[in-house]
Amino acid sequence: MKKVIVIQYIVAFILVLLFLLPVIYIILSSFKPLNELFSSVPTFIPRQFTFDNYVKAINRGDFLRYIFNSFIVATTSTLIAVMINTMAGYALSKFKFKGKNVIMILILSTIMLPLSVIMVPIFSVLKFFGLYNSLWALIIPPAATPTGIFLMRQYLLTIPDEVIQSARIDGAGEFRIFWSIILPNAKPAIATLAIFSFMWRWNDYVWPLIAISSPQKYTIQLAIANFTGQFGTDYSSILAMSAISMIPMLVVFVIFQKQFVQGTAQTGMKG
Amino acid sequence: MKTQEFIKKGGFKMKKVLVLMIALALVFTLAACKKEDKTLQMLWWSDGTEGDVMQTLLDEYKEETGVTIELNPIAYNDYEAKLATMISGGEAPALARVTEGHQTNFEESILSLEGVFDEAGFTNLAFNSDGDVMSLPMDITANGMFVNTDLLDANDVDYPALGDTVWTWDQFETEMMKLDGQSGVAAPGIFDHQAHRFMALMYQNGVTIWDTPYSSSNLKSAAAVEVIDMLIGFYEDGFLPRDTYVTKNSASLFRTGQYGFHLSGNWNVSNYQDLDFNWAVVPMPQNSNRATILGGKSLSAFDGSGMEKEAKAFIAWMAEGEQHDQYTGGVPYLTPRLGATVDYGVFDDQYAVFLDEIGNTDAKYVADWKLETSIPGMYPIINQFVEDAASGEYTAIALLTQLEIDLKAAAE
Repeated sequence: MKKVIVIQYIVAFILVLLFLLPVIYIILSSFKPLNELFSSVPTFIPRQFTFDNYVKAINRGDFLRYIFNSFIVATTSTLIAVMINTMAGYALSKFKFKGKNVIMILILSTIMLPLSVIMVPIFSVLKFFGLYNSLWALIIPPAATPTGIFLMRQYLLTIPDEVIQSARIDGAGEFRIFWSIILPNAKPAIATLAIFSFMWRWNDYVWPLIAISSPQKYTIQLAIANFTGQFGTDYSSILAMSAISMIPMLVVFVIFQKQFVQGTAQTGMKG
Repeated sequence: MKTQEFIKKGGFKMKKVLVLMIALALVFTLAACKKEDKTLQMLWWSDGTEGDVMQTLLDEYKEETGVTIELNPIAYNDYEAKLATMISGGEAPALARVTEGHQTNFEESILSLEGVFDEAGFTNLAFNSDGDVMSLPMDITANGMFVNTDLLDANDVDYPALGDTVWTWDQFETEMMKLDGQSGVAAPGIFDHQAHRFMALMYQNGVTIWDTPYSSSNLKSAAAVEVIDMLIGFYEDGFLPRDTYVTKNSASLFRTGQYGFHLSGNWNVSNYQDLDFNWAVVPMPQNSNRATILGGKSLSAFDGSGMEKEAKAFIAWMAEGEQHDQYTGGVPYLTPRLGATVDYGVFDDQYAVFLDEIGNTDAKYVADWKLETSIPGMYPIINQFVEDAASGEYTAIALLTQLEIDLKAAAE
């Protein structure tokens, strides 16, 4: 038995190392001078440790603003997404009404539509509502996602109907039930959704590229991409800013780690 | 409990939610009706300091006229997608920095600039199918050879200089190969991966792609085969490394100080200002004659921005000598403004070489290259051709035969 556990730990350790290696490589490379970064014999640990890449990158833009914009977008969008997706998941898992399954299939089928296909129609909608070039353009369209609705529905199906019915018998209204019973019971799934949602919004590049034009509203990913010109790419600055942009993601994961693991196990969601 | 009963029970609260939703919808609709912002948007990308120089000019323009123009920097790789979506979505930018390719692809959305500025004062103009000028040329780019003089001097490697008899490619390769295997040297040199750089070799061997535009080519001539054989040989000999196609970023490789030369273009004069080793621009080698390939960026105004008049007014202001020279001299760039005396400051010697290359390029090569850049799709075909040549997997004649087929198909 002990032998099996040891093997499990070794396999887990190897897998963790495998997944972490690219991340570690990015972080270490961000401290390498350019000649070492492009050396024909690549190094893993910097031979010469330098902060120059960070200094250069930070001086080339208003990165505090970009990080602040990304933070506002990711947190607001996550809060709204959690509310909307949980409500939709609740309706689709616990209410009985005509066309419920058809609605669910329709929602899921939107996963098959690539962003490039619906980019111009969504852009037109944003323009109609006057949201183009505002941070709301990054917050509202992705507030309800098919993946989020599916995740919440699957989780809420595991809550026994009897609990909800008892609450109704005790006189609780639908919103009371949602607020006092569904939300507390759905914590692991909500944590999972929150982490995914934050990660999607934080790392999103294509949609901000389309929906934002003013540099004052750029997110960190847009700003990082601007290190690419027609004739070359400033990889050292990209590495430095990419390393910085990982920090908020790590903080969110550390905070919700326990619920995240529980939620992914119970909903069958994987990253 | 049945659904209807649930709704009945929570009916009052449902109404509240409905009211809230309607209120939100009203807020957004009202936001849509808000007064339009009068700021002009200018789409831009930068390879060096050109964005900073343009921002200074935009600040001056605002001071003079009160009109705000916002510079929107976009990553070059996504520039065309962004521009296309903005135009399709009815939110075209008032102004945008454009290449020859962009002008070909977005011709229908680009405003005619007839009468906006004095066309006779500029070279490298682009015209739409009605013969109207469609952009203000902002700079000229030309191919050129950069050398790491510190590395070459340390290894006793000679290199050409302006005023010398122009070197041949054979002579240049022989000399640079002295770097091969030396300590601190990754490879003798590098070429940019773009077709612009490689096709100069064709012209330097006296070959134009087209004999009759788009119908009869010179691609299977002995001279064309000879030059592609030479290119394949460059990679086989180790004169050029194949790494270029991994990073597609030769400038970063040259910056490491481990390469003797870099065949690139004049934009790197500003880009290399911060290098910690000495470098110089030297005349490119030749086979039968000298030739460089010209390109350039321009400024276009777009239809559908709602700011067409203001955009044209800015272009007219920008075309004035003082502003235009401030831009080309500030970056610095080669100027397309005829008769301009741009002060290239500490880079005068470097720019003298580029001007010499341009002065020694026959007009037939300039015209031939325009035939490729004015047809959408031809440039990527040539890029692929060069990459295939570098791979060493094909013979010169097989590559050229395929190139001829592909270019003719693109022209159709």
